Amino acid sequence: MNKRRASNWMKFVLVSAAFVLVLTGCASSKGAGDTGTPKAAAEGSGSSSSSGGELSYALATSPDSLDPGKSGYAVSHRVFRNIYDSLVSELPDGTFKPWLAESWTKSADGKSYTFKLRHNVKFHDGTPFNAAAVKATLDHTQTLTGQARTLIGPFKSAEVISEDTIKVNLTEPFEPLLSGLSSAFLGISSPKALQQYGEQYGKHPVGTGPFKFVSWSENDQIVLEKNAEYNWGPPIADNKGASHLDKLTFKIVPEEATRIGSVQSGQVLAAETVPPQNILTLKNDPNIKLDTAITNGTPYTLYFNTSNAPWSDLKLRDAVRSAVDVDTIVKTLYLGTYQRAWSVLTPGILGYDASLENSVKADAAKANQLLDELGWTKGADGIREKDGKKLTLRYLESSPNREKRNDIAAIVQQQLKQVGVDVKLTITKDTVTPLTQGEYDLVGNSQVKADPDILRNLFRSDRVYGKGGYNYVKLNDPGIDKLLNQGYQETDPEKRKAAYAQIQQYVIKNALALPIYVFPYTVAHSSSVEGLKFDLLGYPQFYDVTIRK
Amino acid sequence: MTGAITTRLFSSLLVVLGSSMLVFIIMYLLPGDPVLIMLDGNASTPEAIASLKSHLGLDQPFYVQFYRYFIHLLQGDFGVSRVNGDLVLPKILEHLPATLTLTLVSVSVSLVVGILLGVLSAIHRNGVIDFAARFIGLFGISMPAFWTGILLLLLFSIQLGWFPAMGSDGWKTLVLPGLTLGLIGAGFIVRMVRNTMLEVLGEPYILTLRAKGLSERSVMYGHALRNSLIPALTMIGLTVGELLSGTVVTETVFARQGIGRILADAILSKDIPVVQGVIFFTAMIYVLTNLIVDISYSFIDPRVRRSQLKGGV
Amino acid sequence: MKEATALKPIRKITWKASVSLRRISASSVFLYAACLVVIFMTACAIAPQWIAPYSPEVMDPNQLLQPPGAVHLLGTDYFGRDVFSLVVYGARDSLLIGVASVLVGGGLGGVIGALSGYIGGWVDVIVMRLIEILMSIPGILLALAIAAAVGPSLFNIVLAVSAGVIPNYARVMRSQVLTVKNKPYVLASRSIGSSELSIFLKHVLPNSLSPFLVMATVGIGSSILTSSGLSFLGLGVIKEIPDWGTVLSQGRGYLTVAWWICTFPGAAIALFVLSVNVIGDRVRDTLDPRKSGD
Repeated sequence: MNKRRASNWMKFVLVSAAFVLVLTGCASSKGAGDTGTPKAAAEGSGSSSSSGGELSYALATSPDSLDPGKSGYAVSHRVFRNIYDSLVSELPDGTFKPWLAESWTKSADGKSYTFKLRHNVKFHDGTPFNAAAVKATLDHTQTLTGQARTLIGPFKSAEVISEDTIKVNLTEPFEPLLSGLSSAFLGISSPKALQQYGEQYGKHPVGTGPFKFVSWSENDQIVLEKNAEYNWGPPIADNKGASHLDKLTFKIVPEEATRIGSVQSGQVLAAETVPPQNILTLKNDPNIKLDTAITNGTPYTLYFNTSNAPWSDLKLRDAVRSAVDVDTIVKTLYLGTYQRAWSVLTPGILGYDASLENSVKADAAKANQLLDELGWTKGADGIREKDGKKLTLRYLESSPNREKRNDIAAIVQQQLKQVGVDVKLTITKDTVTPLTQGEYDLVGNSQVKADPDILRNLFRSDRVYGKGGYNYVKLNDPGIDKLLNQGYQETDPEKRKAAYAQIQQYVIKNALALPIYVFPYTVAHSSSVEGLKFDLLGYPQFYDVTIRK
Repeated sequence: MTGAITTRLFSSLLVVLGSSMLVFIIMYLLPGDPVLIMLDGNASTPEAIASLKSHLGLDQPFYVQFYRYFIHLLQGDFGVSRVNGDLVLPKILEHLPATLTLTLVSVSVSLVVGILLGVLSAIHRNGVIDFAARFIGLFGISMPAFWTGILLLLLFSIQLGWFPAMGSDGWKTLVLPGLTLGLIGAGFIVRMVRNTMLEVLGEPYILTLRAKGLSERSVMYGHALRNSLIPALTMIGLTVGELLSGTVVTETVFARQGIGRILADAILSKDIPVVQGVIFFTAMIYVLTNLIVDISYSFIDPRVRRSQLKGGV
Repeated sequence: MKEATALKPIRKITWKASVSLRRISASSVFLYAACLVVIFMTACAIAPQWIAPYSPEVMDPNQLLQPPGAVHLLGTDYFGRDVFSLVVYGARDSLLIGVASVLVGGGLGGVIGALSGYIGGWVDVIVMRLIEILMSIPGILLALAIAAAVGPSLFNIVLAVSAGVIPNYARVMRSQVLTVKNKPYVLASRSIGSSELSIFLKHVLPNSLSPFLVMATVGIGSSILTSSGLSFLGLGVIKEIPDWGTVLSQGRGYLTVAWWICTFPGAAIALFVLSVNVIGDRVRDTLDPRKSGD
C-alpha cells in the first residue's frame, strides 16, 4: 500500500512538472495559445487489461471493515467471504455439510456443540488452523458489536478440548447456531494476525480462504490473489483445488451509470446491483450475461411505529395498508424485475408462510371507509382531520436512493394523499437520530440472514433500537416474545416453522408492517465469465469462476 | 519584496489555522450524536456509549475539546477517524495526490480551452466565432458537474470506448474527469481573457504599435495576449477553490480516489477528525496557490510591482 | 454645489448606457432570445397551471417511460408523470432557489464587503482575514455541512447554497468600494461636510454596484447548479414537485433507457443559466466603467 501511495505521489509530481513546463512555455513563447497538451508519454498498452485470470467486480458501496467480527454490511461479506472459510456450510435446502469442521455433535440439552476440525489447513500467514484459532475468532467477536455477535446468539465460551476439537458453550439452546457459523461473519481469522494488527485488523485480514488479501485502497479497489495451497473448499463448490482465478479485484463504483457503463465498455468483467431499467436493456446485449439471486432474510418492509399515536390504532394502520397499492409500486419502479413481498420473511427461508400470499389487497374505498368510521374527516385541503389535528404520517427513509426506496416513499405519499393522509417524508443520511428518538411513524428496512431467527431482532420486546435490536414497531407482546424464543430454542424444524408462521400471521393481521419487495441481487458480467454461483443468502461465490479466453 | 512575502506567508498560516478552527466550530454545532452514528444503532448499553464518549473526549465541554484539538494540530497530530479508526494523516496523504493531479489537469484544461476561446472571441468580436466561442465557454458552467460527467462518460467511454469510465490508474482515467472539471474553469477564463483582451486592444500603446507598422499577428499575440494572460492567472487562484469543491462530485461520478469523496463521507458521518484534516489541506492548497499566483504575478507584470510600491507609500 | 456632486455619478451611468445601446444591435439576437427565455421561465414559475397540460403530481402507472409524443410532449418519467409539466412546475423552486440564494448570500456578502471596504482600517483587516478564511474552505463543504445539519427543506437548501457564496460577493464589493471611495466626487462631497452615512449611501454604494450586479445575475444560475449538486450527493429535498436539479439528479440513472427524463430538465437549467449569463454580460458591458477607457 505504501508503494502504491508513493507511486501516486510520483504521478502527481510528473503531472505538476508537465504543467509548469507548459505554463512557462506559454509565458515565454510568443506563439499562439494552443501549445500541445501536457500529457506525459502514453505508457502501457491498450485499454483492456485482464490477463487471463483476473476478475474485476464492481461493487456499489464500500465495505467498512474486512474484520468479519466487526462489520455488519452485506458488501463486506461479499468481499471477505473469499478470504475466510467457515466451520460448516449451509446448503440451499437448509441442511449443513462439513467445511472446516469435519463433524460435530450437539449436547442433549442443546447448550453445547463440539466440533472436530479438519487437519492440514493453513492460514494465509502460515499459522496452522486449529481449535485455538476458532476460540480466538469467537472470543474476538464478543469484544465487538458486529453482525457476528448477533449470529452467535447466547454464546458463553469456547473450550479447546484438543488441537483438533473445540467445544462451543451457550447459555441456552440456540438452534440457528450452525446457520450463523456458516456465515462469513463468523469466518475463522488467524489468531496471530488478530493479535498482531489489533484495531487495524480490518485493513489486514488473514483467513484460510481461497483468496489472500493483497491491498485495499479506500474508495478505489480491494485486491485479492489466489491462495495456491487451497484444497479445502466448501462442499457446494465443484472446484477441489486452488481457485481458477489468479486475482480478484473489487472496484468500488457508487455511481450506477458508471458501474453499468464499465461492464458494457469492458473495463470491468462484472458489476453488481444492476438497476431494473438496465436489466431490460442488458438482456439484449450479446456480450453481457445477467445473473440473479434472491437475497434471503426479511424483504424490504415498511414498519409502523406503534408507540406513536394515532398509529397505535390497528384500524388506522389497516386503512393505510389498504390505501397503499404495493403491486403498482413494485410494477412501476422495478418494471417486473422484482417480486412483491407478502410477509416479513422472504420466500426462500425456513418457516416462510406462503398462506399469507394475496392475503391483503389494495382497496382505496375500504381505506376511506375505515378513516371515515374512525372520525377523520377531510378538510378544505383534502387532508383528514380529527379534533383539530391533521392526519399526518412521518415516513423515514435513508438517503441515497438505494434500490429506489426513496421513490417508493414518493409513490406512497401520492397514494396516501388520495385518501387524505398527509405523508411527511424525511429522507436523510442520518436515520440514527430520528430512530433513537422515536421520531417516525413509518420506516423502511430489510435484513439479510439465513435463519428466521432474524425476526427476534425485529419484534422481541427487548430488542430496542439503539440497544442492538431493530424493533422499529416497538412491539411489546409477551405472546410473541414467547414464540420468538421458541423459534430459536426448539430443535424440531416443524415446530420452529409453526412458531414462525404464527408470528408472521400476527404481524400481518395486526398491520404492523407493509412488506414491499424481495430484493434480487443482480450481477451483469461479460459472457466470458463462467461459473459464478450464489449462496443461500444471495452472496456471489468466486471460487468456481473461470474466465474464458 | 522578501518582507512582503514573509508577511504574506504569515497571514497565510493564520488563514489555514483560522479555517481549521472555523470548521471545528461548524462541525461541533452539527446536530446528531457522533457516537450514536458511529455505533449505527448497535450500542448495547448506555454505559458502553458513555465510556466510548469519554474515550473520545466527547464528554468534555466545548472549550476543552477545542483546546485539545488545537494543541494536537500544532503538534501535527491529526487524530484518528471515528468511523473506522484509521489514522487521519496517512489517510489524507493516500488520497491527496489523486485529487491534486485531477485539479492540475483540470486547471490545464481550463487554461488551454479558456485562453484559446477567449482570444478567438476577442479577435472576432461580435462575429459568429465570438458567439460560438462564448457559447462553448458557457457550456461548462451551465450544467451541473455530475451531468456533464455522465454525458462525457456515455459518449467517450461507452459509445466510443476511447477512455475508461472510472478508476484512478493511468493517465487515461484522468481525461474525462479532467475535462468535466476543466470545462467549468474554462467558462470563467474565456470571459476574463476576452474582456481584458478587448480592454488592452483599446489601450493607446496598441495604437502606437499598430502605427509603427507591426503586423496584426504580432500585435495580437505578442502584446495583447501576453497582457491578457495575467488576469487569467489570477483566476486560477480563485478557481482552485471552486475546482476543489467540484472534485467531490467528479470523484464520485468517475469512482476516483480523492479527498473530495473522503470529505463528503466524513461530513455525513460526522467524522470530525477527518473533516478537520481534509479542510486543513484544502485550505493549505488554496492559500499556497494564491500565494504563488500573487508572487509570480508581480514578477511577470512590472505594473503590479509599481502599484504595490505606490500602495506601500 | 452639493446638488451637482450628487448628480454626477448618476449622469455618468446614463451616458454609458446610451453608448452601449448603440452597440446592442449587432448582438441583439442573443440578448432578445435570452430575455425571452428568462421571461418564459419566470412565467412558468409564477403561473405553471396556465402552461402545463397536466398536474406534475399525477403518477400514471399505465404511462411509464413514454417517449416524447403527441399525448406527452416531452414524454413521461419512471413514475408516469408528464415531463413537460414537471419542467414547467419545476421552474418555480428552481428559480426560487437561484434568486433567494443570491439575495441571501449576495445581500450579506455585499453588505459585509461594502462596509468593510468603506470603514477601512482594522475593521477591514479583520473582516478580510475572515473572508479569506471562508474562501479557503471549499464552498461545497459549507453547503454539505449546513444541509446535513439542518436537514433537507427548500429554505435550508437556500441557506446552504448561499453560505458558500458570501465571501465571493464580499470580496468583489469591497474592492469596488475601495476604488470608488477615493474618487474625486466622493472626496469633494466629504470636503463640503456631507455625513459619512450619506456619502456611503448616495455616492459610494450606487457606484460600486455594477460588478456586484453582474456577479449576482450569474450567481442565480450557479446557485441552481450547486443545489442540484447537493441533490446528487443525496442531500436534496424530496418534494412532490421537484425542482429541475432534483429531477436531473434523480433521473440520471435512466439516461440510457429514457433520455428524455433528464435531458429536458437539464436543458432547462442550461438554457436558463446561459440566458442569465448573456444578460449578465450585457449588464456588465453597459455598466462597467472600464469599458469606456477610464
